[in-house]
Amino acid sequence: MNGDFAIRGEGVGKRYKRLIKDRHHDSLRDVIGAGVKDMFASKQEREARQEKQTFWALRDANFEIKRGENVGIIGLNGAGKSTLLKILSRITTPTTGHIRINGRLGALLEVGTGFHHELTGRENVFLYGSILGMTRAEVAAKYDAIVDFSEIAEFMDTPVKRYSSGMYVRLAFAVAAHLDPDILLLDEVLAVGDFAFQRKCMTFARRLEQKGATILFVSHNMHSIKTMCERVIYLKKGQIVFDGPTAEGLKLYEGDSRLADAPWFRDAAHAPLKFTDVQLLNDRGESAGVFDYGERMIVRLKYNAHQRVERPDFRVGFDRDDEVSCTTYSTHSDKIDIPFVEGEGEIELRTPPIKLVSDLYVANIVVRDPTGTMLAAQIGGHFHVRHPVLSAHAYGVYHEPGEWRVSQGAMPMLSEAANDRRR
Amino acid sequence: MRGVSLEASPTPNQIVTDIRPDRGWLDLDLGAVWRFRELLQVLVMRDLQVLYKQALLGAGWAILQPVFAVIIFSIIFGFIVRMPSEGVPYPLFAFAGVLPWTYFAEAVRRSGVGLVTDAELVRKIYFPRLIMPLANVVSPLVDFCIAFVVLLIVMAFYGIAPNVKMLVIPFLMIVAALLALSIGLWLAPINVRFRDIKHTLPFMIQIWMYASPIVYPLSLVPEQWRVLYSLNPMVGVIEGFRWAVFGQGEPNFMALGMSAGIIVVLLAGGLVFFRRMERTFADVI
Repeated sequence: MNGDFAIRGEGVGKRYKRLIKDRHHDSLRDVIGAGVKDMFASKQEREARQEKQTFWALRDANFEIKRGENVGIIGLNGAGKSTLLKILSRITTPTTGHIRINGRLGALLEVGTGFHHELTGRENVFLYGSILGMTRAEVAAKYDAIVDFSEIAEFMDTPVKRYSSGMYVRLAFAVAAHLDPDILLLDEVLAVGDFAFQRKCMTFARRLEQKGATILFVSHNMHSIKTMCERVIYLKKGQIVFDGPTAEGLKLYEGDSRLADAPWFRDAAHAPLKFTDVQLLNDRGESAGVFDYGERMIVRLKYNAHQRVERPDFRVGFDRDDEVSCTTYSTHSDKIDIPFVEGEGEIELRTPPIKLVSDLYVANIVVRDPTGTMLAAQIGGHFHVRHPVLSAHAYGVYHEPGEWRVSQGAMPMLSEAANDRRR
Repeated sequence: MRGVSLEASPTPNQIVTDIRPDRGWLDLDLGAVWRFRELLQVLVMRDLQVLYKQALLGAGWAILQPVFAVIIFSIIFGFIVRMPSEGVPYPLFAFAGVLPWTYFAEAVRRSGVGLVTDAELVRKIYFPRLIMPLANVVSPLVDFCIAFVVLLIVMAFYGIAPNVKMLVIPFLMIVAALLALSIGLWLAPINVRFRDIKHTLPFMIQIWMYASPIVYPLSLVPEQWRVLYSLNPMVGVIEGFRWAVFGQGEPNFMALGMSAGIIVVLLAGGLVFFRRMERTFADVI
């Protein structure tokens, strides 16, 4: 009955106990106390209590992934992505449902887990290989290839505690890359390492893909999802809300992630000011998700300040989706003095012509007080910048044409397009 | 989370894995442990490599620990208290008790806290969790072997020749290992949830040591208490060890038999308990 699928899940669910505050470990006293309380409680009371103390990290997930498919799993933090991966990799068991997996599954939930700091690179290659499920003979046979891939052959007899984090990741990934699985679970691993190594990893994933491997890729990095996957599964509060073409799924996700609290802002609950609406508009005042290189953007913000905020500095920042901060506009640095804000209000930024290269960006909206303390930080939405040629790979973060003077043999080019073709 | 089953399929040797909620108490899935035996081997190797790399003295530690215990016991119990030692020089008598005990204590300690020590692995990677306490029980055997060589040297110093009975020592060590494993199977899951074990373990082991015939001979225990006393499964192991080394008297079959019986019960219960708790390790560790 092995159909054409690599993974099929039916009614998969996982229920977790809610953690009490920040404590990860129960004390024996609490457990005994709860047990005693349970003895005197009615069945309904017990069930009600269980319902209150537990939550479904993943609920009734049905999906089928075909052989050779590359599927991205997206969702905000806590949407159930990691839970799904953990169940697939058998680290934890589902509470309900059934999953069937056809083929050897390799899980890279975090590269380098299992490395031991005291051991040398060579020893760790064998250790990590076994942990990932390779036999010793297999690791031995692939050892040279692994070392070669890692590009750190000269450090194989050095304890990994002396490695830089880059070397560490290289070696770990090199081992993992030689696992040769039929199905690969990847969790954010490609987000590490330097640029050249990242590309190597991407190439590796492509090669695996060509061999017909199935890849499940979990990431916050929509850029990677976009380049690697033709299909996405979008999880929201533990449920699959979308399963289909990447472009559509990303659009849905981007819509939902608008105005979400910025994950790096810790005081979101106590923010004196909250943005209630954000619109990214083109120069004609139309709502847009794609902007041409050189186009202006209007960012229209609505906010509600529950408390009076003195001299706020409103900021709009554009980050490339791989979290490279590209530019920030600020009322303070543009010498706009706002004495105070209180209650509801609106503020609008019109950017100069956007000179960012072609890529996916996220707009952050932030308010700081004059001392620089962050008062509010939200994700304002994603947008693309479009240019037929300019891309981060070849041009870096931003691009503007320069003026050249060439002394010898240069012919003036006919057009920008000709210039681009030559490259 | 049932095992991997091989079925007829389009691709030869296609691995099919079925993942389901765990159920049942008696589903031990020892087959999975067997399939991961190489990981067991690698983890044991890792423990040894790390231990002997970190420690300046390397293998010396395996010797120093029991030797110091023997020196202290010899001064206090041999020299000051004048403890009877069944016709064997007291240091030798103590050594023959301390040696299997040191192994046992270390195996219990490591298997009790091992899962938490390697929490990263448990959280991020699948493997049959039983591998962990198994590896923890196996790796201190190497220390034991090193220290055993020292015992032979001390015996030579006192003019006692090794004898044929020593061939039962491997068997006795298996009994000690199984006992340590069965204790570890109970303690490790509790430690994952409560972490209290780590702190109570050292003094539990200390108490247990004085409840075993290590610094004193079994003959000192009043006759009418012997059966009760032998409920301690280490009694049979240590008495057996002394018999094997010094070759005096009869082996204590009663004590050994009781050891075996208790170990079987503890181990069976421990396996079921461990498997039952295993499913939540990654979530709560």
